[in-house]
Amino acid sequence: MISPLIVALVSICYFALLFAVAYYADARREAGHSLINNPYIYSLSLGVYCTSWTYYGSVGRAATSGLDFLPIYLGPTLIAFTWWFLLRKMVRVSKEQNIVSIADFISSRYDRSPWLGALVTLIAVLGIMPYIALQLKAVARTFDLLISPTSVAEVGLQDLFPVLPGYVDTAFVMALVLSLFGVLFGARHLDASERHEGLVAAIAFESIIKLVAFFTVGLFVTFGLFDGFADIFSRFALQFPERLSLFRLDTDAIPYTKWFTLTFASMMAIMFLPRQFHIMIVENANEDHIKGAMWRFPAYIFLLNLFVIPIALGGLLLSGGDTSQADYFVINLPLAAGHPWLALLVFIGGFSASAGMVMVSSVTLSTMILNHLIMPLILRIKVDIGDFSAILINLKRFGIIAVVFLGYLYYRVIGDSYALVNMGLISFIAAAQFAPAVIGGLYWRRANQKAAMAGLILGFLFWFYTLLVPSFVLSGWMESSILDQGPFGISLLRPLQLFGLTGFDIWTNALFWTMFFNLGAFLSLSFFCKQKTTEQEQARHFTDVYGEHIFPEQRQRISKAPTIVEFVELMSKFIGEKPANTAISSYLSGQEINSRGSLDDHEIPALKSFTERTLAGYVGSAPAKIILENYLSTRGSEMEDVFDIFGSVTLSRTASRDQLSVLYEAAKIVSRGSDLDKTLQGLLSLLMQQFKFDLCVIRFLDAQSMTLAVKAQMGMTSKHFGESERNLDMETYIGATFLSNTSSVVNDTEYLDKSVSAKIILRENIKSFAHSPIVVEGEPVGVLSAFSRTSKGIFTDEFVALLNNLARQVGIAWRNHQQLEKLLSAREQERDLEIAKTIQMSLLPAGIPELSHVDLAGLCVPAHAVGGDYYDFIRRHNGALDLVIGDVSGHNIGSALIMAETRTFIQAMRQIEQPYAMLDELNRFFCEDLSRAELFVTLFYLQYHPESGLLLYANAGHNNPVLWHSQSGTCEMLDSDGMILGIKPDINFEQRKTMLAIGDILVLYTDGVTEAEDTNGVFFGETRLKALIEEYHHLPANQLIDYILEQIRIFTGNRHFNDDITLVVMKVIHQNRIDPESKTQTNS
Amino acid sequence: MKSPNPTSTHEAWVLCLILGIIMLNFPFLQIFNTGRSIFGIPILIFYFFIGWPISILIIFLFVNRLQREEQDNTPDEGEE
Repeated sequence: MISPLIVALVSICYFALLFAVAYYADARREAGHSLINNPYIYSLSLGVYCTSWTYYGSVGRAATSGLDFLPIYLGPTLIAFTWWFLLRKMVRVSKEQNIVSIADFISSRYDRSPWLGALVTLIAVLGIMPYIALQLKAVARTFDLLISPTSVAEVGLQDLFPVLPGYVDTAFVMALVLSLFGVLFGARHLDASERHEGLVAAIAFESIIKLVAFFTVGLFVTFGLFDGFADIFSRFALQFPERLSLFRLDTDAIPYTKWFTLTFASMMAIMFLPRQFHIMIVENANEDHIKGAMWRFPAYIFLLNLFVIPIALGGLLLSGGDTSQADYFVINLPLAAGHPWLALLVFIGGFSASAGMVMVSSVTLSTMILNHLIMPLILRIKVDIGDFSAILINLKRFGIIAVVFLGYLYYRVIGDSYALVNMGLISFIAAAQFAPAVIGGLYWRRANQKAAMAGLILGFLFWFYTLLVPSFVLSGWMESSILDQGPFGISLLRPLQLFGLTGFDIWTNALFWTMFFNLGAFLSLSFFCKQKTTEQEQARHFTDVYGEHIFPEQRQRISKAPTIVEFVELMSKFIGEKPANTAISSYLSGQEINSRGSLDDHEIPALKSFTERTLAGYVGSAPAKIILENYLSTRGSEMEDVFDIFGSVTLSRTASRDQLSVLYEAAKIVSRGSDLDKTLQGLLSLLMQQFKFDLCVIRFLDAQSMTLAVKAQMGMTSKHFGESERNLDMETYIGATFLSNTSSVVNDTEYLDKSVSAKIILRENIKSFAHSPIVVEGEPVGVLSAFSRTSKGIFTDEFVALLNNLARQVGIAWRNHQQLEKLLSAREQERDLEIAKTIQMSLLPAGIPELSHVDLAGLCVPAHAVGGDYYDFIRRHNGALDLVIGDVSGHNIGSALIMAETRTFIQAMRQIEQPYAMLDELNRFFCEDLSRAELFVTLFYLQYHPESGLLLYANAGHNNPVLWHSQSGTCEMLDSDGMILGIKPDINFEQRKTMLAIGDILVLYTDGVTEAEDTNGVFFGETRLKALIEEYHHLPANQLIDYILEQIRIFTGNRHFNDDITLVVMKVIHQNRIDPESKTQTNS
Repeated sequence: MKSPNPTSTHEAWVLCLILGIIMLNFPFLQIFNTGRSIFGIPILIFYFFIGWPISILIIFLFVNRLQREEQDNTPDEGEE
């Protein structure tokens, strides 16, 4: 008996030591030097397999039934043979898929099924919580043993510290401390890999303590209390000859079947118990450590078990064969032998055994509950929580505490019943239920979700029925009739003799039936059920994990690519900003970023996968999948199921032969160079034929209406066609394709998110479709669309790539066509211009009329484009001379024709005497035509009477002619009111008059003269013109014209002019009239 | 990462596993399941507590072989 204070003190010190070890390891990890990354630590950490059930229970069993404690350790040794394959593959897959628990593993393998994850979590919780209760019980019991006198009556903590409230007993305190430990070292912060170095360090340390303590007490008993192994055996044989069967098999207690069952169950348990999975796989730092663990761990448990039998026998010998307290021989022997410190050491060892199990199990169970039960619920309810990462970590912490205390409650409620002590083996067989799903999933691609689900459900049900129900009966909660007569009296359904299988122990019975139904369902459903492609993909991630990554990430197409930033934001929301940024930068450093600072399109699905995996490390793979899907769908792009249209499961990087031949055909069609419509139809029929589409459409941008209009189609109903135009907005997939210049794919029209498109799509019974932008020189000019009314999911990435290529061909065809058109229209234009020029030239006066009174000259220099200038001289019968100069807007045949009409009119309407009348008539006549043609005519009409020197003039918006008076030597601009022709039919043209003297010079011109520009954009202007006239008035008319023209040429610096240059010069040289003012006259 | 292990070692592993299972079960165990003792220790127990370390030794040898093989292949494989 030891003073409780001492025990408590030692316990606390040990605890502190554990905390220190864990803390140190964590600190080292944060500093970058991992203590855990060490094969010895790894092997030691596996020792968590040995709990108090094995620490104390083994001795109990050895003393009671004999060798049946042994298979629990022989099994792991056997299966250690396979670790380099099996375990290593599991580790590899788990690291790659960021798997953090066994529920995660199974769920992830089978298409990230949230139901599977939840089921596994449920089974794990049901199977393991009582195990936790067992540990707490062991610690409490041994503590009580230590502090109470060596009588059967135990003294509890209550009796020692009556101040403590009623419910607080040793176990409670233990639960408290252990959950605290779990929280501190298992849930300090969110860790993507779910690795807890401090925890592992503590476990490894505990393993050492366990071994040291047990070995010590073993040595003590064997060589201290007795004289070695042989001594114990011989003494036992002497004292209890009837119990020699303890050393034998095939006894009542241990039939061979039970031996086999126990071996098999422990082989499964060492791998698939949640805490084992966690320690062996999730916490694994380096695959290489597995190598060492393969022999180190068996060596460890061998050493640990070396003294089990001696202690058991010793206990029996010293207790006179009383097996009622056999479980606690380990601690009672030293106590009884007067070595309390040894007993204390044993207690600490046993405590380590219990603590390790509780700590790891609580963390991993909490993780599973959080990821597979709580998170999917939260996500489905779509609760919008602000800071997710804080909620996650607190939920996890709460989970740990809850799990431990549920175990405690279990212990309190159930106490010492049958149910509890057998919990160990019951848990083992529960863990064995995971074996088909895991091992099958790792090695058999066809293993599918339904099979795993069915297997697990059946296995669980039979486990419950053959193990749990009998234990309930045997501990008194249920009527025993179910065991004796079967449910509802059906003897065939008796749990322990199920379906008539008699003669086997409860464990064999249970293992057989659970495995039969579990494995049976798993195998048969895997054969008969088909997998979805996503599942096939996931399967390959598991089975082919050692292969090169030949399966490209981008199996699933995201229609509207989110940006890197958005992914980071999404991650930050769940895991915190800093971890998100760290994750993304380490990911990006391995990617190529294009010059625009973003990822190429095909990298986006890879980024999506990475985000999903990262999130999976924090919240579990099924929730991660849900999160990503929700996120993407709210962004307007649904993740679609993908079918490989070419029927093969493996995608290769090079295009398949079918694709290439289609492209070749398409290129041929385009290069044939027929007209655009034929080419487009040819491409469409190629598409329809090859891929059995129901509908293909090519739309181009109609520049005038700014919509995408159908240029070619095959398979449209007329109603559809009637609604075939698409606006340039994001309301339709076609519009979106065009505007964003990326293809849009909808593999399942049940998931449309554009209502405008949806109406038409659904009415036309379309099941899937894709749009490819038709791109010419980087800019979209149209959209190629393909629709299927029969199949969903045909638009794989490869196929969309093909479609894009075809669209490019369409683009090429279109561009060729455009260029041809341009060429043709240019030619036509040229021809037009030629015609117009010809007409125009014919309008101009063929020659200058020879007149005695005036020196007349006229010149029209056309610009390179046809102008609309026109001038004419009309000699009237009364001797008057009409001068007309005019300008038509426009530079085409139309303007030329108008000019021709004008001239004809003027020439024909000789009866019109007055300039203003002529303009008036002209205006009325032409106004309608002109406004319809949207042309304007400016005219200046003058009438000179040489006898009198009278000049009449009227203006229709034309430039004011210059009149140089020889007398004053200055220039005057002749103006009169009148609008340009063609505006309105009713215009008052003002007519003015002036008198010309001999030597006066009249210069008519069009705006080609005054608006001739020099290189600086300065106009020639009227001023310059006037100056020229003033200076060179002495020149004859034609020379003057030439000179002005020359000056204009010099001014503009060009040989060619932008507008026609027309000049008419009239010099008065002779007048019959004797004018009193001009005595100076006559011919000069 | 190349597929691990040349097949010969692989096969040897499987062989040992099967052998182990056989040697740990009926009927093999029945051979030792007598009341005799050796060195004062019941023969079955002796069998286990000798056979067990021997299997551990076998695993150890295999692991060594693995490591030697891997060292031979090291230039080809990157990080391990």
